[in-house]
Amino acid sequence: MGETAPETEARRLAEDARDRVRFEEEALDLADQVYRVARRMVSSREEAEDLMQETYARAFRSWRSFQPGTNLRAWLLRILTNLNIDRGRRVQRSPDMQPLEEGDYFLYNRLEESTQGQNPDEERVLERLSQDDAVSALSAVPHDFRDAIVLVDIGDFSYNDAAQILDIPVGTVMSRLHRGRRILKQELAERAVADGGDSR
Amino acid sequence: MSGYAIDPCDQCEEMIQPFLDRELSEEERQVAESHLDGCDYCRKRYKFEERLRRYVRQAVTESMSPELKAKLAELRTPLI
Repeated sequence: MGETAPETEARRLAEDARDRVRFEEEALDLADQVYRVARRMVSSREEAEDLMQETYARAFRSWRSFQPGTNLRAWLLRILTNLNIDRGRRVQRSPDMQPLEEGDYFLYNRLEESTQGQNPDEERVLERLSQDDAVSALSAVPHDFRDAIVLVDIGDFSYNDAAQILDIPVGTVMSRLHRGRRILKQELAERAVADGGDSR
Repeated sequence: MSGYAIDPCDQCEEMIQPFLDRELSEEERQVAESHLDGCDYCRKRYKFEERLRRYVRQAVTESMSPELKAKLAELRTPLI
């Protein structure tokens, strides 16, 4: 009844191949979501495309190190983040901590002021900002802060997942989000005011 | 998170971002929701923050090109 050694080996190889194919399919199914995050972690489309290819090449090579049942999207983004640092695009450092006076409601308050004290309609004030305003404002946020925003706000990752992807403590993710979002609001406020209050 | 000295609107401001991130504990979420239900000042700002988040997300989202998708699929291990 017992299998011979070659039969056992053949069965093992078949199972291995099946697991690998499943892994590759699952990873490719997530590529759109990974790209959306990757695109905003680097400055150009070309860089994002290169990074995606390197990430997937490495992921397919080292698929056995992925633990099934854990977050594959976070695992792929961890590889991508490390590759981005390895390529020298990123210097790991503590971001500059200039004081920020404005509170969380800074943008709302600024927009309210610019409508002469009338209560701004939340939808209408945002209509003043274009898609390009959001892209350029986000690009202007220093990358350490931006990465945290992109992972949590665009990628919908939890603070814990973002901490693992960026290899920083959860508290650091929270403080970078806090400061990054305020910088983003300052950048958006500059653009909203520059676009003028006359575009109704 | 309790304390007589804390201004409820200041406390709510601190909770709005983690609220939108779905990172508040159940208890904190209830505190935030009950304050937002009764405070026009904070509710307006909460709605603004929620819309701002949605606007940024939609504005910066860029889809992957079909060419890149095909290149990634080509990286798969060839079947023997």
